[in-house]
Amino acid sequence: MQKLGETDVRMEGVQETLGQIGTADAVLGLPTNNNRATVGRTAEACLRASEGRLSGYRIAVVNADGGSRDGTSEYLRELLAEKLPLLQISYPLYPVNRLAVPLAGVPGRTAAAIEIFRCARQLDAKVCALLDVEVESIGPEWIDRLTRPVLDGTVDLTVPSYRRRKFDGLINSGILSPFARTLFGKRLRQPAGADLGFSADLMDRYLAQTASSAQMPPHMDPWSPVSAIVQGFRVGQTSLGPRVARPREAPLDVSGTLRLVLAGLFDQMEFSAAFWQKVRGWDDVPWFGPPLEIDDAPSDLDRNPMIDSFRQGCKDLMEIWSLVLPPQTLLDLRRIERQPDGSVRFADDLWARIIYDFALAYHLRSIGRDHLLQAITPLYLGWAASLIGETENASGVDVEERFERLSTQFDLQKKYLISRWRWPDRFSP
Amino acid sequence: MLNETNSILSQAAAPLTRSIAEFLPKVLALIVILAFTLAIAWCARLLVRRFLQRVDFNTHMDRWGFSAVAEWSPSHSPAKLMGTMVFWFIAVIGFAIALSALDATLTSSLMVRLVYYLPNLVAAVIILGAGVIFARFAARGVLISAVNLQIQWARLLSLGVKWLVLVLAGAMALEHIGIGGQIVLLAFGILFGGIVLALALAVGLGSKEMVSRSLERQAGKHLHNEETAASRYHGL
Repeated sequence: MQKLGETDVRMEGVQETLGQIGTADAVLGLPTNNNRATVGRTAEACLRASEGRLSGYRIAVVNADGGSRDGTSEYLRELLAEKLPLLQISYPLYPVNRLAVPLAGVPGRTAAAIEIFRCARQLDAKVCALLDVEVESIGPEWIDRLTRPVLDGTVDLTVPSYRRRKFDGLINSGILSPFARTLFGKRLRQPAGADLGFSADLMDRYLAQTASSAQMPPHMDPWSPVSAIVQGFRVGQTSLGPRVARPREAPLDVSGTLRLVLAGLFDQMEFSAAFWQKVRGWDDVPWFGPPLEIDDAPSDLDRNPMIDSFRQGCKDLMEIWSLVLPPQTLLDLRRIERQPDGSVRFADDLWARIIYDFALAYHLRSIGRDHLLQAITPLYLGWAASLIGETENASGVDVEERFERLSTQFDLQKKYLISRWRWPDRFSP
Repeated sequence: MLNETNSILSQAAAPLTRSIAEFLPKVLALIVILAFTLAIAWCARLLVRRFLQRVDFNTHMDRWGFSAVAEWSPSHSPAKLMGTMVFWFIAVIGFAIALSALDATLTSSLMVRLVYYLPNLVAAVIILGAGVIFARFAARGVLISAVNLQIQWARLLSLGVKWLVLVLAGAMALEHIGIGGQIVLLAFGILFGGIVLALALAVGLGSKEMVSRSLERQAGKHLHNEETAASRYHGL
């Protein structure tokens, strides 16, 4: 007889193992794909959480593996066997998933999440925490903070907020967070977290979606809180401490990161246009765990290469930008380009309009989408250099206030976005 | 006198009237065939698009990594592109059938030759059109990537790629319609080789220092900064 906690990636074995586990209050989902080097810390956190903070609950671990060849599954089984109910399954990994470098987590992580949800619901779990096994700083408190608000019935989705230095995650602070607030009406600090907690209702919604269509549509990405917000689920955010991930062998550069982040965001925007055009104002999202801390340590980022990139973009890409941006914006960019390095400054309203114009060009397919998303890189670097130059000596709290002002400009420019979205011909550059 | 005149005129007009009477139904047949073919082509395009959208063709293309095909013509999804291709395929076949409905004796030998020549011509136009679109796509892609890598001669590189593709497409099209024959092939070889050599020289000699500076910065400090920035994104 198969022991509890032993793996069986064959489908017939999965049902047997599920039957042996019976039910669980909380499922800890570990998507893996060649993560032997880091999975140990996550497994340890799961064990400690089940013995400590979540000892009153029945915990099960579901590991969805994309075909690891480094013995990840075996190692995980070795670590957790006999200590925690463990179910190991495989998730489909298509060629395009194998070739693409994911933003965070494993390749094909959406498919992995769905397979984990399927098992979690068969175990009748009230909550499922998806954990990024690449993270080395995970502790049992992370699991508690991700699952507790859902177990208490306060929210349907817990989004992480990692402790960071003042200029870390500029894509998050300068694009994703203002977007989530302005378009979707929720003030989320870090909408692109890779560790999340899901309620049973939310999991059921995603599973129903996969049952009705062969593949999860882009706007239904379980890794993005926007999907849950658009569907009316309650979202909360929790403080998780610093996120230290193992450096990748082939890390994404800024251009690749922007391409992935913006493609996901603009896809969601396109599919939820009817929703966000009706959103007025924004709500604070419930906060769980200790208050957010921001490290005041001075930045070691060198602004000069960023400014060089922006200047070169102005020199060589103006023709392409002119297909996306209106003449006034192009004039503003020319004006900024002529400033000396130390005085390069992007006005907040200009940055908000640039992002909105790119979102619209993505929607209208003004130029190839891949080209469009890559063409924003020099502008992003110019904006980042401007922000760093402006707030170099400011405290972490002041920088947060600065981002707040930026978000306000995104709010104010929303009318511009809606007008261009509804009547693109009237406003085309 | 009048009768004779009438008779002469009738005799003179008879062949012309007969010719017109024989020719008009063929023109009518040509128009009917063309209209019928275009209607079929339109229906086929609609059916193909709907069928492909129903089977989630766009998603499958994305999944298998062929989304770049749609990027060549950004306002068209892969399903739309397939529909358009089917439309033009049927339309071209219909046009050929419609032309054959005309009496070959009434068409000039040039017309007949043109009809026989049409498939080559159409293929050449398609090759050239695809070449121009792909050249534009490739040039833009190279330009943006080179700027993101902060390569100073990004424009030159983009222009080189654009002309390489255009020259290649032009040579293929000319060869297809049989103009120039070996001369085109030879000229293409010389021109293509020349462009490649020029680029190689520009990179290897002319821009040695610039390239070395660029690569150095790329491999060193700048790359470090980019990676740091990107990994900090992951650090959130």
